[in-house]
Amino acid sequence: MHPTPTVVAPRRLPLRRPARGRVFGGVALGLAAHLDVPVALVRLGFVLLTPVAGIGALLYAFWWLAVPAGDPADAAQEVRPSALTRLARRQAIVEPGRRIPVTDIAIGGLLVVAAALLIAVRSGADVQADWLLPAVIVLAGLWLAWSQLDAVQRGRLRDRAGGRTPVSLLRVAGGILLAGVGVLLFVGLASGEGVEAATLVQSIIAAVVMLGGVALVLTPWWLRLVRELGDERAARARESERADIAAHLHDSVLQTLALIRSRADDSAEVARMARAQERELREWLYDDRPAPGTSVAAALRGIVAEVEDSRSGPSGDPVAIESVVVGDRVPDADTEALLQATREALVNAVVHGRPPVSLYLEVGTSEVEVFVRDHGDGFDLDEVGTDRFGVRESIIGRVRRRGGTAKVTSSPERGTEVHLVVPIRAVDDEGVQP
Amino acid sequence: MTDAVDVVLVDDHHMFRTGVKASLDAGVRVVGEADSVDEAIRLVRELRPPVVLLDVHLPGGDGGGGAEVIKACTDLLGETRFLALSVSDASEDVVAVIRAGARGYVTKAIDGTDLSDAVRRVAGGDAVFSPRLAGFVLDAFGAAAGDVAIGDDELDRLSAREREVMRLIARGYSYREVASELFISIKTVETHVSAVLRKLQLSSRHELTRWAAARRLL
Repeated sequence: MHPTPTVVAPRRLPLRRPARGRVFGGVALGLAAHLDVPVALVRLGFVLLTPVAGIGALLYAFWWLAVPAGDPADAAQEVRPSALTRLARRQAIVEPGRRIPVTDIAIGGLLVVAAALLIAVRSGADVQADWLLPAVIVLAGLWLAWSQLDAVQRGRLRDRAGGRTPVSLLRVAGGILLAGVGVLLFVGLASGEGVEAATLVQSIIAAVVMLGGVALVLTPWWLRLVRELGDERAARARESERADIAAHLHDSVLQTLALIRSRADDSAEVARMARAQERELREWLYDDRPAPGTSVAAALRGIVAEVEDSRSGPSGDPVAIESVVVGDRVPDADTEALLQATREALVNAVVHGRPPVSLYLEVGTSEVEVFVRDHGDGFDLDEVGTDRFGVRESIIGRVRRRGGTAKVTSSPERGTEVHLVVPIRAVDDEGVQP
Repeated sequence: MTDAVDVVLVDDHHMFRTGVKASLDAGVRVVGEADSVDEAIRLVRELRPPVVLLDVHLPGGDGGGGAEVIKACTDLLGETRFLALSVSDASEDVVAVIRAGARGYVTKAIDGTDLSDAVRRVAGGDAVFSPRLAGFVLDAFGAAAGDVAIGDDELDRLSAREREVMRLIARGYSYREVASELFISIKTVETHVSAVLRKLQLSSRHELTRWAAARRLL
């Protein structure tokens, strides 16, 4: 396995159409974020595919309708179990707007095309215009009806309660009307002026076509209903989970505050409780937590918490440990030994050294490294008796038995630094540990 | 001692502002305080202080917090420098303000002396890295995986020296200690840190851009 840095972004962002930075419907932007490729490439792809039987435009239209609008990063967060997600609201990204009035340009372009057509007709070009009017009317009707899908979703972001708005109803009604008129015109065109024997067949065809048009028009309505139902259910589940977490937080914080108040005269104890609470809150609020048992970093956090809570410095004051973790991986027996050695080193640093105590863990491709540093007066390792179990056995021995190295550098000016390295053993395909 | 450095203090918690003001040493003078995005932008534009101490999580504006304040003051970045200050050390909060243009990032647990030093360092044009920020840089640039730049002009990877400096800072070393550990001058350490900050702001590195593109920072 690869120790990929997992802190920055989830593996793959879900497909959404972002509201910011879009040109038309945000399809290309959303696809780019989802596939993790440059957005320009996706846009180019759509443009290149469009002359090929309109595939580009069709795909775009399909995704525009089928992909819900929203922020991919927010959606990725919502996918996480809420108990493991940070509580603090994420910062919105605000950018000075550079909007290109795409809609205006599109309408302008359409008008230009229409004008060109008119001129062509005037100048005597033989444009078969019979089918044109019905086609335009049908297309306008479809557009009117389908466009509600997008508009309703945008509106819903602003007003979650907004369901069946008069506007969206009008859109559907207008869409049906236009499509119906268009279809009738088509039929009229096909049947000519007179009523013939074939009229019956033709009107059946007309009815079928009509129904098809209506179904086409109503599809987005139905799609929207289905989607909204699912969204609402998910939102309700999220809401109750959030409430649970909030209750948990309030309980723990309130408890600690009450304890602090009742023991206000014991400054060391107050500082310790405040530190423990700070740590817990920070984790709840700002960290996305990995599932239990899957992260060396999380295991290390647990050890740091345990040492901070249970040990005091030489003067009896609690000591905060500043810890930095780079990379992460699934724990195994080797990292377990390393973490136990780290714990002993931390206890030594807290109890015998002087704050600040720093802890640095780096998960590389071939080894895991730990540095534990304090600012105490240092000690001479050679003077520590071989019979003393502390440093030699519990720190150095533990790591060496796992094929790693341990080095202690200590001086009166620089404090003590313990450097532990454990090689990573490759996990074979079955995931069996030696 | 040179003149005191003027700072504008931006934080929505009155208690915290009072605490910071009391803890800063004589070399730093608070000339203005703001408690929201809009107020901060107005005040910074009016006072044009050399340094702004900026909370990352701020109410008001369009909800963009500290990063929004910096973005609204981009034209002032030559004369006004921002030092981000936050109770959160989550990477996404950090990278948002740094990429917006902040010259450094410290957590609110920092003590008064260190904060005053950080303000002076930022005022002098240097970058201020906390151990956590250094750790984040190492993580985001794949330095732990041995992904190290060959040339100096590469924006997407750290040079071997920069990686070494970042690792020492992440291990809790001060700039002075880093300098003596690597047998280089403090000035050189500062140069390396500034170079890393620049890479952090300009790099199109995969992990950074993927994240940033999703949040539309670019």
